Amino acid sequence: MGRLRYTISRLLQSIPVIVGVITITFLLTDAIPGDPVQIMLGPSPSAQQAEAIRAKFGLDQPLHVRYFNYLFDVVRLDLGTSLYYGVPVTQKIAERLPVTLYLLLSSFTFALLTAVPLGIISAKRRNKPTDHISRVVALFGVSTPSFWIGLMLIIVFSFWLDIFPATNLILPWESPANVDGAANQLGVIAKSIHHLILPTITLGTLQMAAFTRIERSSMLEVLGEEYVKLARAYGVSETKIVRKHAFRNAQLPLITLVGLQLTGALGGAVLTETVFSINGMGRLIITAIQNQDFQLVMGTTLVFGLVFVIGVILTDLSYAYVDPRVSFDGSE
Amino acid sequence: MSEPILKVENLKTQFFTEEGTVRAVDGISFEVNEGELVGLVGESGAGKSVATSSIMRLVEDPGEIVGGTVTYKGKKIVDFEEGPDGELRRSPEMLSNEEMRKQIRGREIAIIFQDPMEALNPVFKVGAQLREFIEINRDVSSKRAKEIAVDMLREVGIPEPEKRYESYPHQFSGGMRQRVIIAMALACEPDLIIADEPTTALDVTVEGQILDLVEDLQQKYNTSFVWVTHDLGVVAEICDRVNVMYLGEIIEQADVDDLFHATRHPYTEALLNSIPRPDQSVDELNPIKGVMPEAINPPSGCRFHTRCPEARTVCKEVHPTYQDVSDPDESSHFVSCVKYEDVGYDDAESLDTEATDAFSGGLVEARGDGQ
Repeated sequence: MGRLRYTISRLLQSIPVIVGVITITFLLTDAIPGDPVQIMLGPSPSAQQAEAIRAKFGLDQPLHVRYFNYLFDVVRLDLGTSLYYGVPVTQKIAERLPVTLYLLLSSFTFALLTAVPLGIISAKRRNKPTDHISRVVALFGVSTPSFWIGLMLIIVFSFWLDIFPATNLILPWESPANVDGAANQLGVIAKSIHHLILPTITLGTLQMAAFTRIERSSMLEVLGEEYVKLARAYGVSETKIVRKHAFRNAQLPLITLVGLQLTGALGGAVLTETVFSINGMGRLIITAIQNQDFQLVMGTTLVFGLVFVIGVILTDLSYAYVDPRVSFDGSE
Repeated sequence: MSEPILKVENLKTQFFTEEGTVRAVDGISFEVNEGELVGLVGESGAGKSVATSSIMRLVEDPGEIVGGTVTYKGKKIVDFEEGPDGELRRSPEMLSNEEMRKQIRGREIAIIFQDPMEALNPVFKVGAQLREFIEINRDVSSKRAKEIAVDMLREVGIPEPEKRYESYPHQFSGGMRQRVIIAMALACEPDLIIADEPTTALDVTVEGQILDLVEDLQQKYNTSFVWVTHDLGVVAEICDRVNVMYLGEIIEQADVDDLFHATRHPYTEALLNSIPRPDQSVDELNPIKGVMPEAINPPSGCRFHTRCPEARTVCKEVHPTYQDVSDPDESSHFVSCVKYEDVGYDDAESLDTEATDAFSGGLVEARGDGQ
């Protein structure tokens, strides 16, 4: 019961945050120098044409009117029409967002699946060779820019060894008819994963490195707790202590970090998508900025903001699930 | 008299740190008989907790048991023999880590820790933690373990045990948590429970309740206890026999009454003078002067001589022998002090120490304490 109440209150709390995100996005976009009308119409448009365009997009209205118009539009899930593509912004986002989420999901899975065991092993073998190796790997991961890792991976694995493709990401939900050499949907998925390996490593290395360090230090801390000593004193095996008694407690700092790293990963996705020519949100936002497509800039920024808000909510909820003290309602 | 269930002989545990070797436990010996409640008393840093974790073989890095023998019901928990090159090594009879875990920990010897707020895992339900330890140490089904757990919670005075079984540790008060920990220890049906300052973190009222509970349950189950504490009041209330530790050594051991009324060691004497006693009235309590020295470089001779009010020059040179000095009406009374040895204590000159005037300096005089 505590958990359900906590979930609902946490979701309600996020509403003002989302309104804040919309407001800031709107104001920042408005503050971008340059006139979108001029970009749409070329160097020297007639005053009449400009007026017509301004009226069409509501740009002749004062700021507060435009703001409330935009707010109501967003509530109705209408993010306007992209000036550059000439299609609704929502359509463009619906097309691109799944690609980026697919990439994010895959790189976070990769990061967690490697970081958690590596961190635990490092903690269990503190200051032994395994620990030192993992420390060096982590240091390398944190200090290497992801685009450089991407380029190196392309050179080694695509160019020299020709094992993994560097471009033309195939999405798992594409129809087999459009994919060369895929007989059925499973074939498409296999090909998609094959394509995704290099981008995943590129984007996931930084997260992996950060997660490993956190996992190691929190595991070390938990292994020194009294309740771990108590379990040991009651004959619980070391394996079970790590897997059960220490594991859940040790994941708490990691959960926080995963939520926070989401913003970093969105930034990394922009670079990764550029390096591997993936048509995701990252490239969409760059195109929007380069072309002063203000509707698209607002739309994509808003979506990035929402993804982050959702990430934070998920963090809090998983926290409440793992640690009963968080959702505790105070009645004893 | 039957064989003691726990016999510790010349146990030594050291910590190898960068500053040097810390001789935390330096050759202690004591016994625990069946159904007996044995106290282990001393100031912070005397090595009491290291002694208990050595008995459980749970000393953590960089600590290591380096010598001595611990025998529990004939099994060698700690045992060393001389290797071919004269080095001490583990004897073949010494239980392996796996044997310790499966045969001794929880099943034969259970432990109660000092801080009940930290000793329960915050993310698991209290009942589940209890049930797990019972399952491991009593070879019963999960369902039976739950029944035992609920019964035991009731036994230690937790109201509505069926409901509380499903609670998380943070929903319990400190005293209640310590009851849970005691339930945990008793539910595994060990023959020996090591209680490491189990009431130190509790307030005095709750401490009293817990002590009463332990006394009742101890009589009911006839479990032996090693009770670690720095509180002589607690010792007087529950212990049968007491070992007084100072800087890694046991310096006096006697039945509880003899220790309080026929005190032999100046340190024990000083400890008793520093607490209020119902059987004596004094104008002012007399604390032990100075702090306990570091166990890295313990003082020469008698380790207490730097703070001993009765110290003489010989104390600095001769390490006292731990020996039986019992009167005919005492069962046994061991003490380690040169006063009871023929090494010339009576003829030696008294020594300036922190406890005598030369060192106590302005602090004592400023308080007008002219003894």
